[in-house]
Parts: sequence; C-alpha cells; structure tokens
Amino acid sequence: MRYLLFQAVDIAAERFPDANAIQYTGQCLTYAELSTLSSQLAQVLIKQGVSRGDRVGIYMNKGLESAVAIYGIMKAGGAYVPLDPFAPIKRIDYVIKDCGIRHLISKPAKLDSLHQILNADSPIEHIIGLGAQEGLKVNSVSWDEVSNASERLPSLSLTEQDLAYILYTSGSTGMPKGIMHTHRSGLSFAEWGATTYMLAPEDRLSNHAPLHFDLSTFDFFASSIAGATTVIVPEAFSKFPANMAKFIEEEKITVWYSVPFALIQMMQHGKLNARDCGALRWILFAGEVFPTKHLRQLMSMLPKVKFSNLYGPTETNVCTYYHVDKIPDDTDETIPIGIPCANIEDLVVDLDDTVVSRGEVGELLIRGGVVMKGYWGQPEKTRSSFFRRVVFDQFNDVFYRTGDLVQLDENGNYRYLGRKDRQVKTRGYRVELDEVEVALLAHLGVEEAAVYTIPDGQGSNLIEAAIIPKEGTDISESELVVHISKRLPAYAVPVKINIVSSFPRTSTGKIDRRELQSLAIEAKNE
Amino acid sequence: MDRKTLLADFIKTEIIRNRNAQLDESEDLLGAGILDSLSILKLVAHIDESFGIEIPDEDVVYENFHSLKAIVDYLQKFP
Repeated sequence: MRYLLFQAVDIAAERFPDANAIQYTGQCLTYAELSTLSSQLAQVLIKQGVSRGDRVGIYMNKGLESAVAIYGIMKAGGAYVPLDPFAPIKRIDYVIKDCGIRHLISKPAKLDSLHQILNADSPIEHIIGLGAQEGLKVNSVSWDEVSNASERLPSLSLTEQDLAYILYTSGSTGMPKGIMHTHRSGLSFAEWGATTYMLAPEDRLSNHAPLHFDLSTFDFFASSIAGATTVIVPEAFSKFPANMAKFIEEEKITVWYSVPFALIQMMQHGKLNARDCGALRWILFAGEVFPTKHLRQLMSMLPKVKFSNLYGPTETNVCTYYHVDKIPDDTDETIPIGIPCANIEDLVVDLDDTVVSRGEVGELLIRGGVVMKGYWGQPEKTRSSFFRRVVFDQFNDVFYRTGDLVQLDENGNYRYLGRKDRQVKTRGYRVELDEVEVALLAHLGVEEAAVYTIPDGQGSNLIEAAIIPKEGTDISESELVVHISKRLPAYAVPVKINIVSSFPRTSTGKIDRRELQSLAIEAKNE
Repeated sequence: MDRKTLLADFIKTEIIRNRNAQLDESEDLLGAGILDSLSILKLVAHIDESFGIEIPDEDVVYENFHSLKAIVDYLQKFP
C-alpha cells in the first residue's frame, strides 16, 4: 500500500529496478539506485539526529542529488525545504531560521554561500554533501560517505498525515511564508496527475521548475508513481529558449510541464518549430494565464500534442484543470481553468462567505486531499486562510480560501478573473506586491513606496515601483536596487524604481497605485 | 573602448545593476544567477543596438553566453 511519497520510488524499484528514475545531463539513477541511495541518506540523517517532523534544507543547484535529497529526507521522517539556490543570502538565512533547519543537503559548488549562511546565530548543525576538509565550522559528511551507509529503509511509524515538504513563497507582511504539505496532500496531486495524463514507465517527463516551485512536485512524484523517468532541465539551459527546445528533441521528452513563459520563449526565440518533438504527448502548463493568441500558435505548431491548463495556488498543489480544445481563430478570449480534480469539492462565495448562485463571480474555495496543512509557524494566518462549513455538531468541512476570483461559465468550466488581494504573477513567479513595498520601506532614505505591475507585452507582468525619498536625503535608483536585491529574489526586484516627490492620492489620501500604474504604462508606451 | 569593456559595463549597470561590482571575464553568469531569461533578452537587444550585430535566435544558447569571455569569443564571428 502506498501512503507515503517515497514509497512510490521503492515500489518502482521492485517493479522496474533498472529503469531510469532520474536523469541529469548524461547521468542517470535507476529506481533501484535511487531507492538505495535515499535510504542511505536517511540513515545518515537519522544518525545526525533528524527525527519525525524535522525540517531539512536542500540548498544546491539541481542534479541527481536533488532526487536523493527529496526522498532521503522524507525517509528519515523529515520534511524537505527547498532553498532557492539563486536567492539572496539574507532570504535563505531567514527561511533557515524561520523553520529551524538544523540539517542542510548541499554540494561543494555552494561552499562560498554556505560560509555566509553559517553565521554566528545560524541553527545549522550538520551539512551533507561536503567533505570535512572544506573548513566549515559544522559537522559535514560527503556524498561518498552517504553511499557507504546502511542501505536499510529506516523503520519509522510515519503516516500520510506527516509533514513531507515546506515550500516558501512571497508573504505580504514582507517575509516569505512556508506552505506545509503532508504526504497525503502531495500524493493526492501526484496520483491524480499520473492517472489523468496516463503516465507510463516509458514516459520521460521534463523537470523545468525549480524545486521550491510547486510544479516540481508533479515532475518527481507523479513520475515515480508511474515508474517513468524525470529528465532534469539543467538550470542554465532553462534560461535559453534554443537550449530548451533542443532538450525536448534530444531527450525525447513525452510530457513537458512549465510556466507558459518558457513555452512562449521556445516558440518565439527557440526555433521550436524546427525541432523534432515527435515523442511529446502532453504539454502541461500552470502558474499563470497562457495568452490565448500564443497558445493557439503553439498548438498549431504541435498539432499532435495534447495541452492541459493546470490551476491551483501552492497551498492546494493543483485543484482544477482544463484540457484545451482547438482554439477558435476569431477570439482571444482567455481559456478556462476548468473543472475540479478528483477528490476535490469547490465552492464559490461572496465577500460575506455566502455561496453565490451558479455563474456569479466569487472567491474560489477548495476542499480535498490536495490542500496544505497550513503555514509554518503562523497559526493565525493558517486559521484565517481556511473557511469552515458546519455540517453538524462538531463536524466541519474545511475549505482553503484561494483568494482567486472565478466565475463558472456556461460549459461548467471555471474562468479565472483575478485576485482579491495584491498578489501578482511575474513570468510565473508569485510575488506579493506588499512584500516588495516593505522591502523598499526598510531603506532609511525611503519615506513612502508604491509597487505595481505593468504589462510585459507577452501576457505577463513586470514589477515597477515609485518612492518618495525622506526629506533631505539623496537617494539613487541603483542604491535602492542594491538594497532590495539583498532581500528579494531577482524576479521580485522592480525593473524600474521611479524617484518622485509626490504620489497621486485617492480622496481618502491613500496612494493611488492604480493611477501610478496607468501613468507608468503611458510612459512605457511613449 | 573594446567590446569586452562595453559589455562588462552594460552587464554591471543594466543587468547586475551594481549589486556586485566585480565581474570576472570567466565568471559563470548563469551559475552565479546574474543572467536570467529577461536579462538575456536585454543583452541580445543591447548587442544589436550598440554593435549592430543581430544574433540569430539559434545562437542565443548557453554555450555562447555562459561567461563574458564566451560572449566576446562568439562575437568575433562578426568582425
């Protein structure tokens, strides 16, 4: 019986021991090897004191070790916490302290950053993936030593309700927040994905998304359920459309999953049409709206491929989906986000939490196996993110409030209309505009700050900001960029920071961000 | 100024935006997280504007853009 995420790997190792589980550049790990190595890593972690529920960080560029780390941590009873290898040290440091990470899985290439992370008050006690000779002040074990450990799967009393992974995402209070998923919520999504897209051992799935991005859970977990191969797109390639298109051809990818931006880039700059994508069965996309005119073009370029739009905040993995039919030539109407996945109940409510009539606009609420456990260390935020529907005495249904405004169309598909709050997507990345404002306001020379989006002309958004400097201070845009880059990942750093002496205001004196946005769009179009 | 200096200046001021003043010619621009998909487009547009070199899409690849040295070496195709 499979009720823990890593059991999928161990089952595949029995059924298809020599099949490739993970591939990175020329190297592979078979299911038997992945199963053994992850058990060995778990043994090492347990010896170092990891116990059930402990958070273990993964801090390295992607590679075969990423899969070993994910499954090894879970086999030790821990929850894996992927740390963005490109994020500023301050942010990494915050996440490590926020969820109390004592163990880190890494690689020698990260040594410089590790020296900065291991500051005086860092809770890190053990690092795995580096030899002891590297001169770090904490206990460290090399990957070679891991492969000499006991191959026995640790025997622990884990259940599907145990914590499996925590994904950190932008937080409106100015600090990232950790979304906690259990084995059940991860499996619910992966099992639905493996069934819906009929994944088979012959399949070769791409892994384009970074580990801290929830799309990656499909690439690893749905694939292992099917005994298929996950082919990791090297991070450097994922920035170059021509490299990505070549990757699809050369690696004979059968299922590609990414944000729309990567696909649009491959189509416009990657010569995707000149590539042999004959092996490709499915293109799955999520994270952002796919502009219809680009999607139509991509679908006509790849007529044999099926397309599916997956929707869901990280808090719910994926909760609705839409298989895209042929798009009519005469309309650029946005495609729907579709219908709820299996084992999910959907509800649309108004501002008073009253269920709206069918077809009316409201916030989408989701109940079911895929929903997160809560936000790490934020019981209040967790409470307010759930809606309880009383069924009868002491028995409530618990729904997650997505914050997304939707409307059911005449065909019974949901359409996404926008956000209730100030969360935005920029090329697939989720950013709370308030977090960017807080980061700007943290600069001593900033009196007021306003952050807003402008269209990037590709169907997505770019982030722009305006600030009013404190009286008597002389402040430059580049100084602010330096300041903010120490706090936020690169994609959240505004492409432009305007330094102004006043803001447009609403009648109540609030900053009129909408007006700032219109002015910025005008300025850009001039 | 030669192409290398001009490109280094552009990368420092417009892409790294002065976050880190050091830029070694062999620095791994991708591994260090300096270049992302947005800044690659910016860089390609800049090369077109300032040197009049229109780089074909199929040449905008990791192999030609992984370091300042790789870019300059690649651009030697266009004297």
